[in-house]
Amino acid sequence: MSVTAPSARAIAEVSSPPVAGGWFAYAREDAAASIVVALVALPLCLGIAHASGAPLTSGLVAGIIGGLVVPFLSGSQLMVSGPAAGLVTIVYASISELGGFEIFLPAVALAGVFQIVMGLLKAGVIKFYFPTDVMRGMLAAIGLTLILKQAVHLVGYDADYFGDTAFDQENHENTFTAIAHAFGATHAGATIIGLLSLALLFLWPKIPSAKIRRFPAGLFVVLLGIGLNALFRALGSDLMVQPEHLVAMPSSGGPLGFFGAVVRPDFSAFANPKVWSAAFTIGLVASLESLLSLEATDRLDPWKRTSPPSRELVAQGAGNFLAGLLGGLPLTGVIVRSSANVNAGGRTRLSAVLHGIWLLVFVLLIPGALNLIPLSALAAILIHTGFKLSPPSLYREMARIGWWHWLPFTLTIVSILLTDLLVGILIGLFIGGGVILLRHSRSPVLIPIGPPGSVLQRFILPVHLSFLNKAALANMLESFPPGSRVELDARRTAHIDYDILELIHTYAGLMKERGVDLRLVGVPSLPGGKPSGH
Amino acid sequence: MENYRRIMANNREWVKKIVESDPGYFDKLSKGQQPTFLFIGCSDSRAPAEVITGTEPGEMFVHRNIANQVQPADLNVLSVLQYGVEVLDIKHVIVCGHYGCGGVRAAMAEPFHGLVDYWIGGIRNIIRLNRHALEGMGGDEERFKRIVELNVLEQVYNLSQTPVVQQAWDKGPRPLLHGVVYDLHSGLLQELVVGLDSNKKAQEFFTPQLRMSLHGA
Repeated sequence: MSVTAPSARAIAEVSSPPVAGGWFAYAREDAAASIVVALVALPLCLGIAHASGAPLTSGLVAGIIGGLVVPFLSGSQLMVSGPAAGLVTIVYASISELGGFEIFLPAVALAGVFQIVMGLLKAGVIKFYFPTDVMRGMLAAIGLTLILKQAVHLVGYDADYFGDTAFDQENHENTFTAIAHAFGATHAGATIIGLLSLALLFLWPKIPSAKIRRFPAGLFVVLLGIGLNALFRALGSDLMVQPEHLVAMPSSGGPLGFFGAVVRPDFSAFANPKVWSAAFTIGLVASLESLLSLEATDRLDPWKRTSPPSRELVAQGAGNFLAGLLGGLPLTGVIVRSSANVNAGGRTRLSAVLHGIWLLVFVLLIPGALNLIPLSALAAILIHTGFKLSPPSLYREMARIGWWHWLPFTLTIVSILLTDLLVGILIGLFIGGGVILLRHSRSPVLIPIGPPGSVLQRFILPVHLSFLNKAALANMLESFPPGSRVELDARRTAHIDYDILELIHTYAGLMKERGVDLRLVGVPSLPGGKPSGH
Repeated sequence: MENYRRIMANNREWVKKIVESDPGYFDKLSKGQQPTFLFIGCSDSRAPAEVITGTEPGEMFVHRNIANQVQPADLNVLSVLQYGVEVLDIKHVIVCGHYGCGGVRAAMAEPFHGLVDYWIGGIRNIIRLNRHALEGMGGDEERFKRIVELNVLEQVYNLSQTPVVQQAWDKGPRPLLHGVVYDLHSGLLQELVVGLDSNKKAQEFFTPQLRMSLHGA
């Protein structure tokens, strides 16, 4: 897919996929990508924790576990895991219903256990049933969401938390009113940094010097943002970006302070049935989100590697189990960070692991330095990723391949933009599934062989005949006029639903009375004898 | 040229007669054919398929060649058979030989007839394989008749082995194969084999002994 345009160069540079490359085959590329991912992940972890009504440390713990634990168990090379914007509503509701974050944590651990069980039961197979059009719509919608949601942060309007993907925001704005408000509340300094960063990110691949090009563009714009802001400050200019537009790491008072701030779970809460039901919900939703992200990330992979989904559930479960015990938010595979990873040139799971290490290093060693990063620079990175996920060529292609693909694709995009990722994708899956069923029920049920106008009209039945074909088959059988001679050959049919078998045998009797010579070849007889009336 | 003119005139006369008795006759026939029979007979002018079987136009699909041969590699007869069985849904395939057949007589003589010698090579094999039995027979005429009959049986057997018939029998008891001989003296058809509609029936009829005498196996 053309969404992965920046990686086209990566493919050109490397002739064969890194099948047996091992952990460090692309250490340089992975390290460069991991820094960009970690820089993007940091405000996401904080913003999601804030929006969930959870301690900020919990978001960081989840991000670190997503890097240091999950990639070792996962089969995916490119997916990044961490706290998910898609879980914000559920987490927020669960914490207030359970009456405290320390009671919520056991639910996270239990959710992890559920996920591990689901993984062992091979529940991950549903990944293979996500329709392509819906997944393409989801990726495009995420791209558009990033562009629309981050546009306000780009100009220094940070009324909503960084990394929100829902249409209705907690501050009673929605995606579009926020943009309208942002026009009246731009911050000049943040806007300069944001627009400059965005321009640089787009121009980066066109830089003639390969040496400069190899430097991660995302890291460069972050450093540029810090530098510009330092310049504004030194000049005493009004352009100086205020703290509310900067990354806001909680002041933890050193490594020990961070660990001290982490909330410990209340293990007595395991006896609480509400904890179990919260765990069940979180386990289910987190699994769905992880599998969707997994499928989406696989689609973005320039090497088209595919990842085992059930193993992913076990990996995610282990991550959530640990997150619950160590005071972290529930985590899932996350598509924004994963696509940033692909876009920044990440190639193997090393980049995901390193992103976890960087997060840990940031938190423990240089929390102060991070607070110098303007959010608008990070917004630029995500907007750039958004454009890569949602290129105009994708819409042209979907329009070209036909109405039946375009419809679920477009409805998925609209649903996601107007609700949130999870609800939107569920609507999209529902519509996509409906379209598939509809098309299936219209697929040919009698394949004519032999020339038109034959005295004997010979048909072979398709390989698979399900109840979906029933109406179409009945209509076909109805259409034969008296005097016709018809042969139905089921010898190449691997599966016939009982419904269809019953229909065929009923019609065999009916059609004889009607003067149609119907000959059945290789049609199994009804298991329970002939249908009533014959 | 007079002869030729005569058949043109006959044609006009025939049309006139038909239309008088049934004005819609040609309209009906022009809509399409649904023949019930496929007749594989000899080219001999004295054994006209429709006349000796009393069938009307539209009832019988006809293929005729010298000595009513069904040779496994003859695209002509195989095409007729395939189209007849798979498209026209023919129910009966009839191989019809006739006593006094010139092709069979040629096969009994030295091979100096030209191209036709290649065509009737199979009949020579039947004669060779049945040399002892044939030599023991009373007269030439009797021998000649016997070879005509064996030839019909051989062609019915060949017919039963064609992919078209095998595939059809795989689906059900259709088409039925028949072997008959037309007697020029009496005008009567004599049945040699009737109603083969499955491999089982074909095997019962073509006993190892009969197959040995037809093609040595």
